[in-house]
Amino acid sequence: MEIEVAAIRERSAQEAMPLETVKQEAMASATVPGNGFQKGLALTALLTLALGIAILVSLATGAVSISPRAILAAMLGQHPLTEMQRLILFRLRLPRVLASGLVGSALALAGLLFQGLFRNPIADPYVIGSSGGAIFGACIGIFFFSQWSIFGFSATTLLAFVGSAATMALVYSLARSAGKTNVVTLLLAGFAISTMFTNTSYFFELFDKSGASNRILLSWLHGSIGIPAWTELAVSAGLLTVATLASLPLMRTLNTLALGDEYAQQLGIRVEAARVSIILIGSLLTAVAVSLGGMISFAGLIVPHVGRLLLGPDHVRLLPVTALAGAIFLILADSAARTIFAPSEVPVGIIMAFIGAPFFLYLLRKMKRSYTV
Amino acid sequence: MSSLLQVRDVHFDYQGHSVLRQASFALEEGSCSALIGTNGAGKTTLLRIAAGVLRPVSGNVVLQGRPMESIPLKEVARAVALVPQQLELPFDFTVQQVVEQGRTPYIGMLRGPARGDRIAVDRALDLANVSGLRHRIFNELSGGERQRVKIALGLAQEPRLLMLDEPTQNLDIGRQVELIDLLHFLQAEGITILASMHDLHLVDKNFSTVLLLSPGEPLASGTPEEMLRPSILEHAFQCPPDRHPLLIERAGLYQREA
Repeated sequence: MEIEVAAIRERSAQEAMPLETVKQEAMASATVPGNGFQKGLALTALLTLALGIAILVSLATGAVSISPRAILAAMLGQHPLTEMQRLILFRLRLPRVLASGLVGSALALAGLLFQGLFRNPIADPYVIGSSGGAIFGACIGIFFFSQWSIFGFSATTLLAFVGSAATMALVYSLARSAGKTNVVTLLLAGFAISTMFTNTSYFFELFDKSGASNRILLSWLHGSIGIPAWTELAVSAGLLTVATLASLPLMRTLNTLALGDEYAQQLGIRVEAARVSIILIGSLLTAVAVSLGGMISFAGLIVPHVGRLLLGPDHVRLLPVTALAGAIFLILADSAARTIFAPSEVPVGIIMAFIGAPFFLYLLRKMKRSYTV
Repeated sequence: MSSLLQVRDVHFDYQGHSVLRQASFALEEGSCSALIGTNGAGKTTLLRIAAGVLRPVSGNVVLQGRPMESIPLKEVARAVALVPQQLELPFDFTVQQVVEQGRTPYIGMLRGPARGDRIAVDRALDLANVSGLRHRIFNELSGGERQRVKIALGLAQEPRLLMLDEPTQNLDIGRQVELIDLLHFLQAEGITILASMHDLHLVDKNFSTVLLLSPGEPLASGTPEEMLRPSILEHAFQCPPDRHPLLIERAGLYQREA
């Protein structure tokens, strides 16, 4: 037997290249960061330009149209606009367009994180109940603690975060069994909890004697981007920046988690810590989006999916592309919401539902098997 | 030769059932061992415990002279790679992207892969003979191709010990021989091999040590000649001696030798 083993060894050593040769050849041809990296960079640059154009187009369109050239001149400190146009541009449209961008980025990034974590392309903050939890938390903030704020963050934002994170923890623990995540349970638990929280939020109307919050609540539940105060925008932009920076080091981890929890652990990833971090960051992003725009469906579903179609599934490359594409997508959707039935407005959430639901069904149909973690 | 890995008196229970009892073995540096046993005997569990992915209920695992639980995860991952039976990916990762994950234990959270990492990935792709597949989508590969890519992923970890869970499963006989040749080549390069195997024909000629797991019994080990005796296999696999060609063939073999 020993002779045979030796013969096989010899044969394999002859057939396969000696290790040193393999090493040297590998040294010579070591793959350069490569095509994919450059493609990602080019797409990021292109989307940055597209974001600028989308902002300009969105600022120009509406019940009163203002020429893009005049807008650019006004931004550069010249005075080509009438007082009314300036008021519309800087008091009404600019905060709203910026809010749309922030909401779009936040939802798309949250979708990217949740899809990566749950290893499933149909997970997004709306589908898995994270948005519902945030709405519920935010409603408690509006109705009971509207005057409170901690370190400049309103109770609404903070409670939206708590609601979102708690819902995610609950849905996730319900779907988790014997080290695996059952995707059907995840979606059903997300749906049930989301429905319960949304309807509980309607129930809060009963407590509202003045009726003032009623309008806010209704537009929130439909998903609508209002005209936020500049301080609110600044806080949201700050939180989005923090969440994006915090998710940067997790993108590579998400790639490894795609192999499955156990494989990731075997490759040296501290899976529980990574999971908790991703859920917290995803919940923070959802809270930012819900605080500004309420219950907007499917943005977090569509944008990462389109990103993957263009760039492949590498989360490191997807992060900037998803953030930019999310902003562009929602800015354009909100412009449509403002202008299709002008001077009336359609809540942007309704537009998103019309685009998103068929897309969701298409993805469901395309997924021939249910993924488990 | 010194022991690279020692598993001592390991017990493991799953949902109230005892899966492993008193499993002890040691892997010498540079050895090539096969782990055999009935379905459900705990082969996969034992490999996962040896790779540090599962913690045993009692007993301990010692890697390079240090208790497994005292070694940071990344350090374990640089010494031990486990190639699992199944790998399902939720998204369309290319072969190269999959194999690059093998560099995870070497890459810091904020640092991208360095030149050394790319060299290791290219080398792993070459060794497992999947360089030509590097731009293909992993989920679209055949069973044999996937198996080789999984091995490349393990090799990208540059491990001292490579463990494989049923590596010949779903492979045709030609691909089985290729895989065995690859294992011998890796062994010749100084990598210690432990593979759980169902096909005992392949075990006989190609492994220096056989570890036998029988339900409810302590793990036994020895050379293939010692462990693949018909009487041992008959008992361990609870298989009548005259019903399976392997047992009949081996009975003839041992009779001739006698």
